[in-house]
Amino acid sequence: MKLKVKDLQYGVVDLNILNGIDAVVDNGEFVGMIGPNGCGKSTMLKCVYRALTPDGGDIELDGRSIRAFSNRELAREMSVMIQENHVEFDMTVMDMVLLGRYAHKKVFSGTDQNDREIAREALSKVGMLEYEERSFLHLSGGEKQRILIARALAQKANFIVLDEPTNHLDIKYQYQIMNVLTKEDVTVFSSVHDLNIAAQYCDKIILLYKGKVVDYGTPEDVITEQNIRDYFGVNAQVTINPITKKVQVYYLP
Amino acid sequence: MKIRFRKLKFGSVMALAVAALFISFIVGVVIGAVHVDPDWILKIVVNEISGREVFQPEWSSSNEAIIWELRIPRVLLALLVGVGLSLSGVLMQALTKNSLADPYVLGISSGASAGAVLVIMTSALAFMPKYRTMAGAFAGAVLAIIIAVKCATIHNRVTATQLVLSGVAVSALFSAITNVIIYCSPESSKTKTALFWMVGSLSGATWEQVIAISVICLVCVVLMLLLSSSLDVLMLGDETASNLGLNIRRIKFLIIILCTVLTGSIVAVSGVIGFVGLVIPHIARLFVGSTHRKLIPATILIGGVFVIWSDIISRVIVAPEELPIGVVTSCIGAPFFLWLLRKNSRSLGGK
Repeated sequence: MKLKVKDLQYGVVDLNILNGIDAVVDNGEFVGMIGPNGCGKSTMLKCVYRALTPDGGDIELDGRSIRAFSNRELAREMSVMIQENHVEFDMTVMDMVLLGRYAHKKVFSGTDQNDREIAREALSKVGMLEYEERSFLHLSGGEKQRILIARALAQKANFIVLDEPTNHLDIKYQYQIMNVLTKEDVTVFSSVHDLNIAAQYCDKIILLYKGKVVDYGTPEDVITEQNIRDYFGVNAQVTINPITKKVQVYYLP
Repeated sequence: MKIRFRKLKFGSVMALAVAALFISFIVGVVIGAVHVDPDWILKIVVNEISGREVFQPEWSSSNEAIIWELRIPRVLLALLVGVGLSLSGVLMQALTKNSLADPYVLGISSGASAGAVLVIMTSALAFMPKYRTMAGAFAGAVLAIIIAVKCATIHNRVTATQLVLSGVAVSALFSAITNVIIYCSPESSKTKTALFWMVGSLSGATWEQVIAISVICLVCVVLMLLLSSSLDVLMLGDETASNLGLNIRRIKFLIIILCTVLTGSIVAVSGVIGFVGLVIPHIARLFVGSTHRKLIPATILIGGVFVIWSDIISRVIVAPEELPIGVVTSCIGAPFFLWLLRKNSRSLGGK
């Protein structure tokens, strides 16, 4: 077992955002987290990558509480990809991806050939190799997103946490990114906005509603007409796609 | 624009900058009321350092004194001030992730001014007449930064925005204190000394100062180079940086210490010289990009050249009088920065 979340609690002032969440991500699995806006997906992920300190409960990575890791240790085990809009100073795409190697460097050991190889490999996986020398700030939103995925891959951790990785991406790149992630030999824990993407790529799905896990299981078990109506407030028809053999959601007006 | 600058290889940028620094040094020593032959410089330096007459003097002993005791320390101090302020600028911009940050953003300059002016106007620290202004300035700088950082620390975390805001407030507070001290002082000659100190000056540079500041600069440069990849990571924002494995608290603490020591000691010897720490890092980025491994050496060289030339201009432009160097750096720096802003709006926070 890779990640184990036990009775996770988090609140601000008098509002409880997470009300005792239990979840498990097994080694090698691709686990997606779905739920309507405000259900606590991002908060839950922030607790996992330690941007927030939970009020109660614990999170274990490979059997060790994440509170016991130093930042550097954690970065070697877990890479995180979140939306970033804070970069004020420009740098090249290559330099940006190379920052993913930070946790593996010793003090004052520069960027070696090995780091560059890894960075190039990551760039080519997201189809951005020819952008190597371009400036990061001049890229489009979708291109930036793919560079951040490449940086997360260059970090070479075998557990990847993503917060809506396909947001803002063209349909082609949504599928490309998910294909890249499934092909990697890593465990993935991601919040997913699009139910069809979740159905297509996830091994297991966690359905979150008002800070609680209300359903957990395979896409077939979780993405049901009933759940979509109860928790997303939309009528839908759920079928099995004849080509992909995966769950397919059609929203009904 | 940017692409064209970047076409220059890092090596050639550095080579050009080293050559420019060398030429600036020579010009800085040669220019002045007393004529100096450029090839005397090396000979005098060799003679003075070896303590013997390796070269037969073809100059008078007063010439030698002017070159060795006045001009060389002054040019070297200009160089060091440029290096130190520019590096502090790099540190502060990384700490606040704000391209408008400069070494004084946390109130160091106002604190130092208040300390120095207080000492100049009163008889405080009279037991160490030679160093009292310096000591007052340094104490003021440290006090200001402690207040700023303390106020910006909320729930044991220091965020960039809070740091900048509390710096602004601390600056205002200490400026007010300075003004009160000047306003209440009856002696106008002391007022002029205080004002002169506040805009910055390199006259009266001594070898003692040069040696002290160069040791501080050297230590800080080595530490900064060791931290260069951490600084790169920090620029991405606290959350991302810690996800990439950076110990945020430690790096911020180190940056604040480094910046206080660098800026505090420089302001103590030269007064508050504006704009250097803001502009030079941006110019260096234009040539070599934002990665600190390249940015730090480029900043050192460009900052040194800039302040040496500013000092030359301050000596020449109204000779035999002298303009405060802070006026010159701002007069060159401000228009240049505006030009840079328009040329390169994207990397300076434009959208």
